[in-house]
Amino acid sequence: MHNALMQKLVQALIDGDQAMAVTQTHQLQAAGLARETIITDGIESAMTQLDARCTVEQFNLLEIMLAGRAVMSAMKVLYPGDAAMFPSQGTIILASLEGDVHDLGKNILKMVLTAKGYRVVDCGKDCPVDRLIATARQEAPLAVGISGLITTVIPQIRQVRTKMHALGLTQIKVMAGGAALKQATAASLQVDFIGETAFDCLHYVETLSGS
Amino acid sequence: MNSLKRIHAALHFQPHDRVPVIAQVFGHAAMLAGVDLKTYVQDGAVLAACQRDALAYYDYDAVFALMDTSVETEAVGSVLDYRTNAYPTVQAYVFAKHDDLAQLHLPDPQCDGRMPELLKAIRILRHAVGNEVLVVGCVLGPMTLVCQLMGLQEALYLAIDAPDQFIQLLDFATRVIIRFGVAQLEAGAHLPIIFDPASCPEVIPVAFFRELILPRLKTICSTFTQAGAICNWLHIAGRTTPILPFYPEAGVAIANFDFSVDPASAMQALPQTCLDGNLKPFAFVDASPAFIADEAQRLLQCFAQRGGFILSSGCEIPPEARPENITALVQAVRS
Repeated sequence: MHNALMQKLVQALIDGDQAMAVTQTHQLQAAGLARETIITDGIESAMTQLDARCTVEQFNLLEIMLAGRAVMSAMKVLYPGDAAMFPSQGTIILASLEGDVHDLGKNILKMVLTAKGYRVVDCGKDCPVDRLIATARQEAPLAVGISGLITTVIPQIRQVRTKMHALGLTQIKVMAGGAALKQATAASLQVDFIGETAFDCLHYVETLSGS
Repeated sequence: MNSLKRIHAALHFQPHDRVPVIAQVFGHAAMLAGVDLKTYVQDGAVLAACQRDALAYYDYDAVFALMDTSVETEAVGSVLDYRTNAYPTVQAYVFAKHDDLAQLHLPDPQCDGRMPELLKAIRILRHAVGNEVLVVGCVLGPMTLVCQLMGLQEALYLAIDAPDQFIQLLDFATRVIIRFGVAQLEAGAHLPIIFDPASCPEVIPVAFFRELILPRLKTICSTFTQAGAICNWLHIAGRTTPILPFYPEAGVAIANFDFSVDPASAMQALPQTCLDGNLKPFAFVDASPAFIADEAQRLLQCFAQRGGFILSSGCEIPPEARPENITALVQAVRS
């Protein structure tokens, strides 16, 4: 019975059916399953299947957004009003840099990372490099992720790793993604990784956390 | 053969003296002239002067009366944030999920927002170049305008959560586009390019495009044709290969294809449609003129047998592009 309920949750998450995902999560809780089990067998299973479907050729923002919203709603059922209780495999800081007010890509990556158990510190959009680095000093993340839709933020991106290294933050990796940034190479942006999709960035983060 | 005749020949797969070249120079024209982008996008006379200067400097085949992607939404009522040397962005969207659509204001291009300035730019440019060079106006496509009215994320959620309201908003956007585009044609544009990046299959599924966007593009294109557009030019950036076959049904005669679309796939999908593309936009910032020249030659060779091609970038050439790279693009068709 638990299996059938769990499969319904997985399917609801893959379909991006927010209402059904919430209902199934409640039912699994009512059936006595621990929230850790619901995350492992339900949410992470759905994310794995979504990841497999989400190739560069088939990537579709609408479907991934709906799935992400359903995942976050299920997580809120499991951890009502207390994001700090989410299990954490490490911290990631995300931002869109000053002058770039587009944050959809960043928000999608946030959903994907959160659903896979990472603690995300979101510096928001239009974020000055110095504020991003100050946050990195404070949070000691595995990586800093920068989303960029416009090429004019590139000079700022090139400063990030250099400035962090100057402060001794050499262990923190810098990853980038977004329509403008994925046209460039990691070397030219002076970052450690460029992701085509949110799942590319997740895979990179998993190599850092050893997941 | 002048630019307009050259483009006409490319449109109809007829012989021409050389392949037309249209660098997608929008805000870069301001940078080239040393003008603040913030001024460029608000003053039609300044925009027209910068475009004329850029045309004189590069000698390509079209000028663009194009400000940014927020002109329509501002005219409807969204509040924009203008910053030095940047395109404006929406600070407060005019529409939210539970708002009453009937309250939305259908803008008058003669008096609302920056629309009159854009019409002024068109009049100046057309007066200056007549029928020698293509004068391109600009409207957003229906999906992109809906996203600009309420935000991309909210628009996508609305499509699923309240499809009837989404469709009504799509229809409102179509009315805005038609009114603005027809005004541009009346002001002298040879055509308004239709920008609809939010219709890319990377954003919405192909079936969504086919069922909801395509019929509205069809209406827009047929209305523009009746209003005197020399043809319809659709610009959807990104991996558009799955939706390219729908373009002829919409009435599209020039199809932009981005750097992520293989030229052979584009030719296969659209055997009788003029294609424009597809150099990587960022290459104009970080690559060398030799690289641009090589890439341009590769494209020219791809299309040499077929014809029906306009050499261009896959999307806007970034404002901060190196001028020598744009020169290399333009020179490629003359070498």
